[in-house]
Amino acid sequence: MADVAGDIRNLADEEVMQLVADGNPRAFELIYDRHGGAAFSLAYRMVGNRVAAEDTTQEAFLSIWRSRLRYDPSRGSVRTWVLGIVHNRAIDTLRRGSVHDRARDTIEGVEERFEAAERTEVEVARREEAAGVRSALDTLPDDQRRTIELAYFGGFSHSEIAELLGEPIGTVKGRMRLGLDKLRQRLAEGHAAGGFA
Amino acid sequence: MSPRDHTSYQEDIGAYVLGALTDLERQAFERHLKGCPDCRGEIERLRPAADALPRSVEQVEPPASLKSSLMEVVEREARELGGAAAERRPARRLRLPSLAGLRPALVAGALALGLLAGFGVARLADDEPDVRTLAAEVDQSRIPQASGRLQVAGDGEDGAILRVQGMPPLRGGRVYQAWVQRDGTVVPQPTFDVGEDGGGAVAVPDDLSGAQAVLVTREPRGGSGAPSERPILSVRL
Repeated sequence: MADVAGDIRNLADEEVMQLVADGNPRAFELIYDRHGGAAFSLAYRMVGNRVAAEDTTQEAFLSIWRSRLRYDPSRGSVRTWVLGIVHNRAIDTLRRGSVHDRARDTIEGVEERFEAAERTEVEVARREEAAGVRSALDTLPDDQRRTIELAYFGGFSHSEIAELLGEPIGTVKGRMRLGLDKLRQRLAEGHAAGGFA
Repeated sequence: MSPRDHTSYQEDIGAYVLGALTDLERQAFERHLKGCPDCRGEIERLRPAADALPRSVEQVEPPASLKSSLMEVVEREARELGGAAAERRPARRLRLPSLAGLRPALVAGALALGLLAGFGVARLADDEPDVRTLAAEVDQSRIPQASGRLQVAGDGEDGAILRVQGMPPLRGGRVYQAWVQRDGTVVPQPTFDVGEDGGGAVAVPDDLSGAQAVLVTREPRGGSGAPSERPILSVRL
C-alpha cells in the first residue's frame, strides 16, 4: 500500500478510480483534490449559497465513494462523470427547495472564496478553461444562451422555461438544440482548444 | 416509425441532452433512440457541448473544512470496510446460488457491498436457521409487474439483501435506490440497477434492528440524500 501511496499522484484518473474501487481512501482523496474545486464551483453556481454548495459537494463525493464500482470509462472522463453527479445532486437540492431555507448563509465567506489566489498551474488552467467556455457561450444569441443556462444550471424543464419566458415550447426546444450546436462549433473552433477531454 | 415521429423526436434532442425533458418524455425519447441511429448520432455530436457547460462556471475554492469532513467519513468507512473484509475472508468457500443469473456487475457489486460492509451474505448462503425472508409491497400503479423479497439475518444488525423481479430497467441516468426508514427518518442505502429481465439485487448494509421498513425509490445516478418520490416498493420489518 505504501508503494501505491507513493506513486499514486502519477496515475491517470481512470487508474486512480480503480484504486478507489478497492476502497483506497488516498485514491479517493486524490480524486477530490483533482476535481473537488470544479465540483464545488458547479454546485455553488447552481445552488447559489455556500452551505448548500458544501452539502451538495459532500453528498456527491460520498456517493462516489460509496458507489465507486459504478464508474464506467466508456461513458466519459472521470471529471465529466464527477461533474454529472454534482449536477444531479444540485438539481435535487434546488427541487427540495432547501436553498431558500438557507439563503441567510449566502453572504458569509463569499469574499474569501472569490479572492482565492491562483496558486497552482492546474488552477490557472481551470480558470482559463472556464473563461474559454464562457467566451464560447457568450457568442450565442442571448435567447439561446439563456435557455441553455436555465435548463442546465437552473434545473428547469423545457415547459417550465417556456412558461418563464412566455415562449412556445417548440421555440424553447429549438433554442436548446441550436444553442448546443453553436456552442459545439465554437468549442471546436478553438475556444480553449484541447481543454475538454 | 413514421418520418413525422422521427421529426418530432428530433426536436427533443437538445432538451434531452440538457436533462430538460420530463420523466415520461425522456422515457418515450429513449424508446425511440433504441431504433434511431440518426438521433443517437446527433446526441453524441451535441454531448460535448453539454459536457463543457459545468466547466464554464467561475472557479471558486472550496473551504478546507469540506475536504476534512469528507475524508473523516471516508477514512472511517475505509477502516470499517477493511476490518469487515478481513473478518469475512473465510466466507469465500460459501456458495451464493441465488445470485446466479444476475449480471456479473450486479453480482460483483452485491458481493463487494455485502462482504465489505460486514453484511452476512455468507450467513444467508449458509442456510442458517435465523434468516427471515420478508415479502415487499409494491406500488401496483407504478410498477405493476414487480415483486421483491428481503432476506434478513437474525435481528438485522448486519443489514439485509433485497432481491427484486419485474422492475422496469431505468434509463437516462436514473437508478433505483434503497432506503432504511427509522423513527420518521430515511437513511440512504446503495443504488442499484436491474437487468433487462427486470431482476436485480442490492445489499442494504445498515443495521436494521429497530428500523421500520426498507424502501426503494427511483433517483438520479449516484443516489440521493433524500428520496425524491414516494417509495415504489417497501418491506415492513
